[in-house]
Amino acid sequence: MEDLSPQCDHQTGCITCGDEAIEMRVVSIDGDRGLALCATEAGERSTVETALVEPTVIGDLLLVHAGTAIAKPAPAGVVA
Amino acid sequence: MSGSDNGAPKGMRFVDEFRDAGLGRVVAGEILAAVEPGRHYKLMEVCGGHTHSIYKYGVDDLLPDSVELVHGPGCPVCVIPMGRVDDAIALARNEEVIFTCFGDMMRVPGSEQSLLEAKAEGADVRMVYSPLDALRIAKTNPDRQVIFFAIGFETTAPSTALTLMRARTEGVTNFSCFCNHVTIVPPLRALLESPDLRLDGFIGPGHVSTVVGARPFEFIPKDYGKPVAVAGFEPLDLLQAVLMIIRQLADGRSEVENQYTRVVPYDGNPAALRVLSEVFELRPHFEWRGLGFISQSALKLSEAYADLDAELRFGVPGVRVADPKACQCGEVLKGVIKPWECKVFGTACTPEHAIGTCMVSPEGACAAYYNYGRFAREREVV
Repeated sequence: MEDLSPQCDHQTGCITCGDEAIEMRVVSIDGDRGLALCATEAGERSTVETALVEPTVIGDLLLVHAGTAIAKPAPAGVVA
Repeated sequence: MSGSDNGAPKGMRFVDEFRDAGLGRVVAGEILAAVEPGRHYKLMEVCGGHTHSIYKYGVDDLLPDSVELVHGPGCPVCVIPMGRVDDAIALARNEEVIFTCFGDMMRVPGSEQSLLEAKAEGADVRMVYSPLDALRIAKTNPDRQVIFFAIGFETTAPSTALTLMRARTEGVTNFSCFCNHVTIVPPLRALLESPDLRLDGFIGPGHVSTVVGARPFEFIPKDYGKPVAVAGFEPLDLLQAVLMIIRQLADGRSEVENQYTRVVPYDGNPAALRVLSEVFELRPHFEWRGLGFISQSALKLSEAYADLDAELRFGVPGVRVADPKACQCGEVLKGVIKPWECKVFGTACTPEHAIGTCMVSPEGACAAYYNYGRFAREREVV
């Protein structure tokens, strides 16, 4: 039987189905399709929907949940 | 790993200051100073992500004994009733279907089997990380029907909505959605109406609030006189939220405070709310595991997107299945009992062989307690 533990284990939680989100930085932008290639701090890259946080530019920090950016975290001390 | 050698950007140490142990002890000291001697505080963290963080970082170990954290219904996997899992399996067994879902959902038991077991018997069930992944599978398999099992609160629903809009724009006709999105406010109101519940305040869900804002929680102080602090997911976020609630109680105030201001605008994300209202509409009622049927507590596809609704395209059995008798997920979800007080916790029900949904998902209170809370349990038993 397929082992799902590397994707959804009890140590790291599940980034997609819970109320969790991860911070990613915009690496490149596909403006025509409303998508951006983003990277985590550890260097993992994935394609992200950016329609909810437009406009975005390369270098923006995004809060990503289930492949969609839901917010742009404000710098410390600044209200979103 | 540095940013320079793997292409990752530098300067992302955004969360470090929210994990500072010294600052954590300072806030814990402020909480200790703010609690009223002899008073017991019972606070509910609504969100499964909070439950996970509390155990992962041992946040409850920093709190005075008089401050008790109880776990709410904020794990979307845990609240899915068994009948909906059976419906999903019925869709997945259709030979023309590729059934896609998040990893957690695959192990949730239906009345006879889980999606993972259905997959072992030949159903084409595939795990995805996002609805966009599911749409990609549809585009690369034009001769198959691809269904995405949509689940989650308002945090996840915009992602599903955008993908359905994208499917429409790109003309992907072999894609549809089995929609199980739920909304956070109706179950909270149902909990507050529950006669066996005694809570002093709520730690509001951080990322749901990124979408809906903090304003929708105003009914809690207004109608029920309980404080709310919308919180982030780092240890200091949670400690600060507890302090905010304790201070409100000490001052005789009850209001919605936003601890997670770096991410949560008080009125939410207007673009996300727009796509939600375009693609979804409220179901008249939806069953929640352990909480029963709750009015207007879930989403279905709007009339404009009904052609992408898998329930309409394929039909589902829609048979209601009672929860297993031994399972006390309902009481756990309402915070009436602690996970370890359930009769089958850690014996018949473990993450490997779960009876109840709270043990399946890492966000679930039972799984979090099983994995991180054993020392806390020993302390409570003594």
